Amino acid sequence: MRFDLHVHSCLSPCANLEMSPAEIVARARAAGLDGLALTDHQSARNCPAIAECARRAGLACLFGLEVQTAEEVHTLALFDTVEQALALTDAVYAALPKRVNDPETFGDQPVVTWDNDIVELEWRILAMGCRLSIPDVAEKVHALGGLYLAAHIDRPNFSVLGSLGAIPDGCFDAVELSRTADAAIWLPKAEGFAVTRASDAHNLDDVARVWTEADLMLVGEGAA
Amino acid sequence: MTLEEIRERVGGTVAVDVEGASAGSCYVGDLLSDIMGHAGEGCALVTIQNHLNTIAVCTLVGCEVIVLCHGRPVPPDMAAAAAREGVAVVVTPRSQYAAALALKELPPADK
Repeated sequence: MRFDLHVHSCLSPCANLEMSPAEIVARARAAGLDGLALTDHQSARNCPAIAECARRAGLACLFGLEVQTAEEVHTLALFDTVEQALALTDAVYAALPKRVNDPETFGDQPVVTWDNDIVELEWRILAMGCRLSIPDVAEKVHALGGLYLAAHIDRPNFSVLGSLGAIPDGCFDAVELSRTADAAIWLPKAEGFAVTRASDAHNLDDVARVWTEADLMLVGEGAA
Repeated sequence: MTLEEIRERVGGTVAVDVEGASAGSCYVGDLLSDIMGHAGEGCALVTIQNHLNTIAVCTLVGCEVIVLCHGRPVPPDMAAAAAREGVAVVVTPRSQYAAALALKELPPADK
């Protein structure tokens, strides 16, 4: 099964407003994906919408967020359920700067329904790091039953290698390479970790540009 | 201190030119949350954080000049935002410490 495990919706301030959950799911389907993970910056508040879109389209979906930690490292928390992702969102929200987002400076942050009505504009500032460290977030993600990944480790900015110079022990279940990473260079640096590759799409054209393939049975497949 | 004076002192090149850009103080930092919390209005920001969001933070704190160290390139989206928001960018091969030393006549911008 092919998954794009790092996709942003319009809730992310840096994402294109065309990234409604409905459009993302339609694009993923058209591109031949079997599933995706929605991972907005610091928030899973568009996960309920994409859960409904994915259900209607018969697309597998994981729910998560891209947590920008106190070290200003981008990390991915992935969960089976919307409730788990929203529970981590509560913890991240409590650790965000006490500052209101300025849409003119950082971008709009609409929370939407599955059929693309705007519920509200998220007022918290999702473009900044939170006060939780990587070990703090790892503990919370694992306590909630999720997986914790280091995002785009090949990038110089906001990556675990770019910011810390090494991958901390005991925190991550896998590491992600961005779509442009040269595997010959970066796979050795990820030795000992499972490796994913994902689009980190912020606009529709980038959804499913790359994917991660896993040998999984569809639910019910093994019972036949 | 004018943009040209800053460029000359840090031995850099102007990657994004903004007419009239200047600085009356200086702050050194690479974590955007730290910069947002501590950099003061009108400072020159010495950093290696060559990212679009650096411009957003400069807009919030009122910084008109970024000194980008170690010769880090200015990504196109960062350059476009800088030009749009009126934030000049100077790129220098020097380290943050060396660049700050070159600007030692500027007082600290710490809040």
